[in-house]
Amino acid sequence: MTTVQAAPVLPTPDPRDPEDRLQRFFDAGSMQQLAARDASGVLAARGTVDGSPVVAFCTDATVMGGAMGVDGCRHIVDAIDTALRERVPSVGIWHSGGARLAEGVTALHAVGEVFAAMVRASGRIPQISIVLGAAAGGAAYGPALTDLVIMGPAGRVFVTGPDVVRSVTGEVVDQEQLGGPDTHGRRSGVVHVVTDSEPAALETGRMAVDLLAAQGAFAPAENEEDVDLSALLPEQKQRAYDVKPLIANLLDGSGLEMHPRFAPNVVTTLGRLAGRTVGVVANNPIRLGGCLDSASAEKAARFVRMCDAFGVPLVVLVDVPGYLPGVGQEWDGVVRRGAKLLHAFAEAVVPRVTLVTRKSFGGAYIAMNARSLGATAVFAWPGAEVAVMGAKAAVGILHRKKLAAVPPGERETLHAQLAEEHERIAGGVNRALQIGVVDEVVEPSQTKRRLVAALAAAPPGRGAHGNIPL
Amino acid sequence: MAVEEIHAEMVSSVWKVLVQPGAPVAAGDTLVILESMKMEIPVLTEHAGVVQEMHVVEGEVLQEGDLIATVTNA
Repeated sequence: MTTVQAAPVLPTPDPRDPEDRLQRFFDAGSMQQLAARDASGVLAARGTVDGSPVVAFCTDATVMGGAMGVDGCRHIVDAIDTALRERVPSVGIWHSGGARLAEGVTALHAVGEVFAAMVRASGRIPQISIVLGAAAGGAAYGPALTDLVIMGPAGRVFVTGPDVVRSVTGEVVDQEQLGGPDTHGRRSGVVHVVTDSEPAALETGRMAVDLLAAQGAFAPAENEEDVDLSALLPEQKQRAYDVKPLIANLLDGSGLEMHPRFAPNVVTTLGRLAGRTVGVVANNPIRLGGCLDSASAEKAARFVRMCDAFGVPLVVLVDVPGYLPGVGQEWDGVVRRGAKLLHAFAEAVVPRVTLVTRKSFGGAYIAMNARSLGATAVFAWPGAEVAVMGAKAAVGILHRKKLAAVPPGERETLHAQLAEEHERIAGGVNRALQIGVVDEVVEPSQTKRRLVAALAAAPPGRGAHGNIPL
Repeated sequence: MAVEEIHAEMVSSVWKVLVQPGAPVAAGDTLVILESMKMEIPVLTEHAGVVQEMHVVEGEVLQEGDLIATVTNA
């Protein structure tokens, strides 16, 4: 019989140690374990983040790769139910290979109970996931059911790993390609925020908790200088631009952008405006011309519903030429997925103010929080166009015969003249004001104060619904 | 040394080509301006580098996914 010597005690803790990870997540000295540490593969604790109380759990990757069994799952369910009872955010730090194989279907049942607990809490308390290692199989759907998924560089999320994929479909792929940060941050949209280090992932989680748990109140600075935000747009009306500097100048500091690389033609950012947390939804003309498409409509819909569920007011910045036309879009379900954005805005009870900076056309006009969907207020910058389509395009269709009848040399002049008339009657911002779909034309330099005033004056609300991961 | 491939995101026509092969570019520089949805849409680099090859000419109609340029990142 051979004797096995005990492994020497390591001088530094295992970087995967759940206690260490939770300590690094909470405010220093605030952590209290909910239950004594055991071999269950999960550690749960309460603590604070910038002073706000939070409950968090962390899978223990040092025990069987963090695989989830009955006892570990019970700890997670307890943590979520505790957070729900106390109305505080629940944070999951994930590094887990999935259900414990040895426990068989009992483990699957327990993992299912974790999912059920997450859905019970959905829309009632913010749920944030930070994926630091593999989160495979059952562990993949844990983060996926939550409001916000943050992934560090070693994060991997997939239902079935590379070996199973290879044996079933013959596809050769590594873990990173299958479910790493680039895959989920850019292609699938499973992950909202990708970070370049584990500490940054934990810090981003803290930022999200602070934005959602300590939302603050609107407190406009008394003597704030007016900034001409329209200077951030190109002079030529038809030139596309990046909307992010506009958002950055509107918000107090840099916000937390969700899905920056997934469906980038819509920007969704949580940040603070005059001291209060708001959600910004903005078309981004530099990507796909700012068109809405199936992916961006769905991304925005989920963001709007999350903000509504947690009482976060919305600022909607509109510069949209329409829905992206094409066979690909129709087959991709742009009608079904675009309908989600209509549903999300129409359902939302949080204050939500729309600003049309340059143009808002067609079906996309409605989808971007139009008056008809119940916008709290709709503002427009001078010269903005609100119409079924651009005036020139519209008269090209409406007056096709008339235009064809004149000599080619005079056609352009007539076209411009007709467009001007049409804009006056049907397309310009004046018509939109007359019929009440735009409340007011605001000067770009006054934009921030007007947005804040409108949001602050509206009765606060909070949607009574879950946050299904659309 | 990585090569960045820049593809068209949507059906569009090439309105202006602003750089030639061999030109050094900074992150965020405009390579070409496309025309689509009655808008002029600049196509930018993500990283600094040197333009290796331009695969489009002015007036050309592009489909979604067509290669516009390759940029060698230092």
